[in-house]
Amino acid sequence: MRRELIDELLAALGPAGVIHEPARLLAYECDGLALLRQRPSVVLLPRTTEECARTMRILHREKIPVVGRGAGTGLSGGATPVEGGALIGFARMRDVLEVNVADQYARVQAGVVNVDLTLAAEKHGLFYAPDPSSQAACTIGGNVGENSGGPHCFKHGATTRHILGLVIVRDDGSVLDLSPPLADPLGYDLVGLFVGSEGMFGLATEITVRLVPTPAVTETLLAIFTDLDAACDAVSDAIAGRLEPSALEILDRLTIQAVEASVFAAGYPKEAEAVLLVEAEGSEIEVEATLAPLRAIAHKRGAIDIRRARSGAERKQLWAGRKGAFGAMGRIAPDLYVADVVVPRTKLRELVAASTRIARDKQLKLANVFHAGDGNLHPNISYDRRDADEVRRVLEASDEIMKVVVAAGGSLTGEHGVGLEKQEFMSLVFADDDLRAMCDVRRAWDPDGRLNPGKLIPVHACREMRGTGRPR
Amino acid sequence: MRPQEVVDYAKSLDCIHCGLCLRTCPTYQLTGAEPSSPRGRIYLMRAVAEGQLAATDPQYREEMDFCLACRHCESVCPAGVRFGEMIETARAGLEKTQPRGFLARTARRIGFGTILCSRLWLSLVASSMRLAQVTGAARLLGKLGRPLVEMPTVPPKSERAALPSSTPAAGTRRGEVAMLEGCAMRELYGRVNRATVEVLTLIGFETKVPSGHVCCGALHAHNGELEGARELARSTIEHFERCGSGPIVVNSAGCGAHMKAYGHLLADDAAWRERAGRFSARVKDFSEFVAAEMPTDLKGALGNELGTLAYDDPCHLCHGQQVRSQPRTLLERSGAARVELPDSESCCGSAGIYSMLRPNDSKAVFARKAEAFRSCGADTLVTANPGCHMQWESGLAREGVKARVLHLAEVMSAALRKAKR
Ligand SMILES: Cc1cc2nc3c(=O)[nH]c(=O)nc-3n(C[C@H](O)[C@H](O)[C@H](O)COP(=O)(O)OP(=O)(O)OC[C@H]3O[C@@H](n4cnc5c(N)ncnc54)[C@H](O)[C@@H]3O)c2cc1C
Ligand code: SF4
Ligand code: SF4
Repeated sequence: MRRELIDELLAALGPAGVIHEPARLLAYECDGLALLRQRPSVVLLPRTTEECARTMRILHREKIPVVGRGAGTGLSGGATPVEGGALIGFARMRDVLEVNVADQYARVQAGVVNVDLTLAAEKHGLFYAPDPSSQAACTIGGNVGENSGGPHCFKHGATTRHILGLVIVRDDGSVLDLSPPLADPLGYDLVGLFVGSEGMFGLATEITVRLVPTPAVTETLLAIFTDLDAACDAVSDAIAGRLEPSALEILDRLTIQAVEASVFAAGYPKEAEAVLLVEAEGSEIEVEATLAPLRAIAHKRGAIDIRRARSGAERKQLWAGRKGAFGAMGRIAPDLYVADVVVPRTKLRELVAASTRIARDKQLKLANVFHAGDGNLHPNISYDRRDADEVRRVLEASDEIMKVVVAAGGSLTGEHGVGLEKQEFMSLVFADDDLRAMCDVRRAWDPDGRLNPGKLIPVHACREMRGTGRPR
Repeated sequence: MRPQEVVDYAKSLDCIHCGLCLRTCPTYQLTGAEPSSPRGRIYLMRAVAEGQLAATDPQYREEMDFCLACRHCESVCPAGVRFGEMIETARAGLEKTQPRGFLARTARRIGFGTILCSRLWLSLVASSMRLAQVTGAARLLGKLGRPLVEMPTVPPKSERAALPSSTPAAGTRRGEVAMLEGCAMRELYGRVNRATVEVLTLIGFETKVPSGHVCCGALHAHNGELEGARELARSTIEHFERCGSGPIVVNSAGCGAHMKAYGHLLADDAAWRERAGRFSARVKDFSEFVAAEMPTDLKGALGNELGTLAYDDPCHLCHGQQVRSQPRTLLERSGAARVELPDSESCCGSAGIYSMLRPNDSKAVFARKAEAFRSCGADTLVTANPGCHMQWESGLAREGVKARVLHLAEVMSAALRKAKR
C-alpha cells in the first residue's frame, strides 16, 4: 500500500488504529476457517462510527475493497481478506452504550463481545438470547453479519429476531441510522435485510438488541446414551411431541472425550456414545411440563442415566463443555473443519449416520456435536492443513455431505453463513434467477461490489463480482 | 539456525484458531490487535517455523516482547495450548536470531548472570536502591530514577537478613518442610518470608531453608535465558535435596510455577530429567500446603484489624499452577471479612521484570485492576507473589487509592498468632 495512503489513514485513526507492517498483517490472514488464507494490505481499527465512516470515505475514493471483521471466529471464511483489500476490524469498538431496563433493549458498539453483552444485561435481570458457542469471543457485529445462532436459539430464534436497530456505515462512507427501537419497522425492514448480509451491504457500527427477562426457573438435564442413533431419535420424538425446551444439543463420543480432556471438562461420562443436553426455562410448572415428557422419551429411547444440574455452577459447567467442544478438538488434529448443515428433524438419525459414513469412506476422523433441536448438524472433521491430500478429502467429504443433505430436503448452512466456503453450493439450492435477485439487492447497497467481494454469491451468477473462489 | 528451532513448532500446531483466548488477553484488551493476542502470537510463531515470516522481523520481536507471559490464555484454551512454554522458547530463539545491542546485552548479563545469582550482589543492589530512595537521590536522577521513586522503599538491612537454616515447630511437631527464601523476596519482602516461617511452624512444621541458595531461575526462563535457567535449576535441585525429601513450600507464585516445571525445562538432559521430575513433585505453593495441613480445629482470629480483604489471583498461581480455591479457603479461615475482586484472574501488569522493561504497558494493564479494586470496596489487597505485591503497592499509590497490600502469609500469620483452638 502506498505510503501517502497509510499516512492519511494514520492521520484519520491514529497509530493504534492502523496495522500495516507485513508481519503483523499476517495474523489477519484467516478467520476460524484456517484453510482459506489471504494477507490483507492494511487493517484498520476504528474506535467510533465517525472514524469508521472517515476510513470508508478514504477507501471508497481509492476504490479499495473492504472486508469487515469482528473477532474472526467465523467458520465460512466470511472475514477472510481479499487480495489488495483492506480489513476493517471492530475490536476497538467495545463499548456497551446503553442498557435500557424499562424498555428491555441495549445499544452496543459492533465490537462488543457477545458474552460481555450478556454480563451487562445480567446485572439487570435481563439476557441476550443468541448464544453461539463462540460467545466468549465473537462480536455482536459478527453475529449480525452471519445471523448467528446458538443452543438457546432453538426457543428464542437466531440473531435476526433480536436486532432492533442498526447504525450502518455504507460503502461510500455515508452513515445510515436505523437505530430507533420501534416495535414494528416502518417501511421496508432494512434492519431485517441487513442481518445475515455477511458484510456485503455495509458495516454495522452500532447495534440495538432486544433483551429478555431472565426466566424464573432454568433446568438443565444431561441424558446419557450408549448409542448415538438413540439420542437422535429421542430428539426427533421430542420435536414430534411439540415439546419446547430452550435447548437440545447432542455430543458424540469423540467430542465427549476431547472435551473431558480439556480445561472445560464438564463431567460428561467418557464411556457414553452420546449425551443429550437439554435445557428448559420458564415458570416451575412450564419447566416441569416440558421436562417430564422429555425424560420419558429419553428413557424410552434407552438413556441409561439422566442427570440434573443441581446449581448454577453445575449448569455453567455443562454448557462450558459444550461451548469448548470446537476448541477441544484441537487435541485431535491441528485443524478442524466444521460443516454446518440443516436437516429435517425427522431425518436426524439417517443424516448423522450418512455424514459419518462419508467421512469414514475417506479415512477421515469425524466428530458430531450439534444443535439437534434445530436439526443443525455440525459434522466436525479433524485434519492437518499441511497434508494436501487430507485437505482434498475433507473438501470432498464436505461436498458430499452437503449434497446428501440438500437431496434430503435440508440446507447448506444453519448459522455459519456461506462466505467463501460454500458459495459454489448456492446453486444446489437456488436457481440462477434467485441468485440474480440477490445480486440486485446487493448492488443496491454496494454498487461497485467493493464490500466483501467474492463471498456468498457464486461467481458464475454474478459476473461483475468475481472473487477468489474455493481452492481445489 | 533452522526456523523450526527458534520456536516450538510442534506446540504451535495445538492451536486450532478458535479465538476463545482473545477476550481475556491483556495485550489484546489494550490494543484490539490480532497479532497482540495469543492466537495471533501463535500464528506468527507458526509462520516463523514454516518459513512464512523471518525470525529476524522486528515486529515479530515486538509482539513477543509485548506479551506479559501471564498465561491467562492457557486457562481458557480448550485445545490445551501450552503458551507459557511456547513464549519461553520463542524468546530464547529471539536472543539468537535478534541479538540485542551491546548495552542491553551487558545489562542482561549483569542482571541475569551476576546479580540474580549472587546474594552479595543482590544485597548490594538492594542497599544502593534504598540509599537512593531515602536520600532522595533517585529523584535527582530524573527519568532514570523514576522506577525507584515509584516502587516501595527497599527495607533496611536488618529486615533483609537471612532466615534461620532451621526453625522448630511451635507446639506439637507434625513434620518438616523446606522453604524457598527467594532472590528478590528476601531483599524486598523479608517480612513475608518471616510470616511464612511463622505460619508453617505454628501449624506444626519445622521449617528448613537451604543455606547458600539464591535464585530458582524463573526470571531467566521467562525472558528467554534458558541456559542460565537450566543451570540455576540444577543448583536449586541440589540445594533442596540437601534438605531431605519432604515438601518444598514456595511463597512466590512465579517461582513455584517455574519450579514445578523443572521436569519440562530439563527434559532434554538425561542426567537430570528424573531428578527434576522428583523435585518438581515436591513443590507446593504456600496456600496449597497450608490449606491442606492447617489443623481443622484451628481458627484464625482476625477481626476488623485489616478491614475487608480482596484477593487477587497471581497469574502464575491460577493459570500457572491451577491454585484458585486454597488462598480463598485460607482467607475464609482467617476470620476477616472478604469480598471477591472482579476479574481477579487477569494480570496486574507486573509480570516479572516486565514492569521495568515496559513501564507504560505495565501501567496501562494495571489501570483496569485499580478500577476493579475501587469497585469492590475492600480495604486490603491480598496477593501471593512478590512482583504483584510491588505492582499493587506502587500502582495503588500512583492512582491515589489508600489501601494496604499484604501477602497471604502475612494475613495468615496475623490471624494465627491470636488463634484459638
Ligand atoms: C468455537 C466456535 C464455536 C462457534 N459456534 C457457533 C454457534 O454456536 N453458532 C453460530 O452461529 N456460529 C458459531 N461459530 C461461528 C462464529 O463464531 C459466528 O459466525 C460469529 O458470529 C462470528 O463472529 P465474529 O465476531 O468472529 O465475526 P467474523 O468472523 O469476524 O465475521 C463474520 C462475518 O461478519 C462480517 N462482519 C463482522 N463484523 C461486521 C460488522 N460490524 N458489520 C457487518 N458485517 C460484519 C464479516 O465480514 C464476516 O462476513 C463458532 C465459531 C467458533 C470458532
Ligand atoms: S483458545 Fe487455544 S486453540 Fe483457541 S485460538 Fe486460543 S490458543 Fe488457539
Ligand atoms: S500470556 Fe498473557 S499476554 Fe501473553 S498472549 Fe497469553 S494472555 Fe496474552
